[in-house]
Amino acid sequence: MILKKEFIHIFRDKITLFLVLAMPIALVLLFGFTISSEIRNAKISVLDQANDTQSKQLCKKLSASGYFQIVSYPGSEQEADSDFKLKNIKLALVIPPHFEESLSREHIATLQVINDVSDLNVASILNNYVRAVVHDFENDYNSTADMAQNFTINIKMLYNPTSNSVYMFVPGIITLIMILVTALMTSITLAREKETGTMRMLLITPVSKIHIIIGKVIPYMIISFLSTIIILVISVLVFKMPINGSIPFLLFLCIIFMLTSASFGMLISSVSTSQLDAMMITMMGLFLPTVLLSGFLFPLNSMPLFFQLLANIFPAKWFILAIKDVMIKGSGFMDIWRYMLVLFLMAVVFIAFSIRQLDKRN
Amino acid sequence: MYSIVADQLTKQFGTFTAVDHISFQVKRGEIFGFLGANGAGKTTAIKMMSGLLLPTSGTATIAGYDILTQSKLIKKHIGYMSQRFSLYNDLTVFENMQLFGTIYKIPRKELKDRIYESLRSLDMEKQSGTLVSSIPLGWKQKLAFATAILHHPDIVFLDEPTSGVDPIVRREFWKLIYQTASQGVTILVTTHYMDEAEYCNRISIMSDGQMKLIGTPSELKEQMGVNSVDEVFVKFVNR
Repeated sequence: MILKKEFIHIFRDKITLFLVLAMPIALVLLFGFTISSEIRNAKISVLDQANDTQSKQLCKKLSASGYFQIVSYPGSEQEADSDFKLKNIKLALVIPPHFEESLSREHIATLQVINDVSDLNVASILNNYVRAVVHDFENDYNSTADMAQNFTINIKMLYNPTSNSVYMFVPGIITLIMILVTALMTSITLAREKETGTMRMLLITPVSKIHIIIGKVIPYMIISFLSTIIILVISVLVFKMPINGSIPFLLFLCIIFMLTSASFGMLISSVSTSQLDAMMITMMGLFLPTVLLSGFLFPLNSMPLFFQLLANIFPAKWFILAIKDVMIKGSGFMDIWRYMLVLFLMAVVFIAFSIRQLDKRN
Repeated sequence: MYSIVADQLTKQFGTFTAVDHISFQVKRGEIFGFLGANGAGKTTAIKMMSGLLLPTSGTATIAGYDILTQSKLIKKHIGYMSQRFSLYNDLTVFENMQLFGTIYKIPRKELKDRIYESLRSLDMEKQSGTLVSSIPLGWKQKLAFATAILHHPDIVFLDEPTSGVDPIVRREFWKLIYQTASQGVTILVTTHYMDEAEYCNRISIMSDGQMKLIGTPSELKEQMGVNSVDEVFVKFVNR
């Protein structure tokens, strides 16, 4: 019955309902930009098919540049591919067989770069770094050899063949919407009951606390779920965003994240005394850090260590990692269960804490 | 037959003692007034008696149930209405009553009958589909009271039910209280209006968490040698 009452509240409040459903559409259509930044020590793999003096020299240069950290030397292209999922590399460089020989004889060599373009920002920055390092290598080689050499770098895109930045921002938008709707609405609706004194009315009745919480949270989770579906449909139809993973699994992941967001909302409402309080805390304490620290607009690995660590306590970071893997790389449960576990544990801790607070305050 | 038996009921928050060993009994169908300045411990005492708060020591029996072990059962048998108006403003009169009736598990059909009967006695039948936000405060308070007794509780706790309401509505409100008490429902009411205290069968005055005076209004007036409860209170406070 609290569930039913909550739905009545929502449908009587037309402005909120409109905002909650129209905002996702506006946000998805508005966001079209990304912001770049410097990256250091990106993990890469080198598939060295030549294994000669010059190829080793090139690897040394890559490591020495400070931009790259070579984490593996796979034996085959398949192995290099799997490194993207298993070792979380951002880029794989393929050095062709007889590298040294073709340099000295034909004065030309083709290097292949395989990018993880699920993060377009990072990929394009890394490509520029590779070009710079190879150019440097070219100059060095030419100064020792008597004839000018000519390198060709052939770049092959992986995971995001059309290099569309929509791939970057859609997961980010989904995250923002879900946090905004679920956490903000949950915290406001609970704070409102406290502010008007109806929470005490409810607590004095025989209905259990868990029942109250569930009744209040589920309507907002349903609305947020609808918003998520709207965004996904727009992304696929308008921006041609692929969903490579399984759709039911993707939706399941969204539900887990909504649970985490809702519990964060509860946590906020349990420490605030009014709706205004709840709104300010959600905006400053959750929404802003989510925009800044989730890796959505600014790549996390180019931030100072302190902020990288701080980002871990916000659910959004984990969700963005997971949803990008599912949508772009087509990862399944076995690939991302760790992220889901983190989100789930966060929800459990937040809920337990807010139920205890509910006891104390009233 | 006592509805409320409090025995050395005590609540401490840290080093602060909000309620200090209070003991009293209230008979079934009695209107018991709970007086005292703000912060005297009235609200904390009511919270303990309604099962929202566990006492630090002491105990109480409410409608025959122990507050330490049977708070779930107590909740089923009490009604509560607070000083702040506490129904949902964006629900209609009927929806509010239906919500609380359903929470107390009153069967759907019977609930409907009870709601209409209760609205009829308040002369508010026409307002059943009106949003609560658009009815006057005095009516809201009467409505909140009607909602609090919809599930036929044994005891009703009224926490400053008439604050901010005009004298005519207050008088009507007390008529409702008398009506309810005459059906055997025990009423425990806190108030700041001393004229209202005269309407109670018995009153108690709390101060610093202790129950300093208890008795019928005429007993207390006699004891202090004054003519009204108002003077009893003033004399007591200045003592």
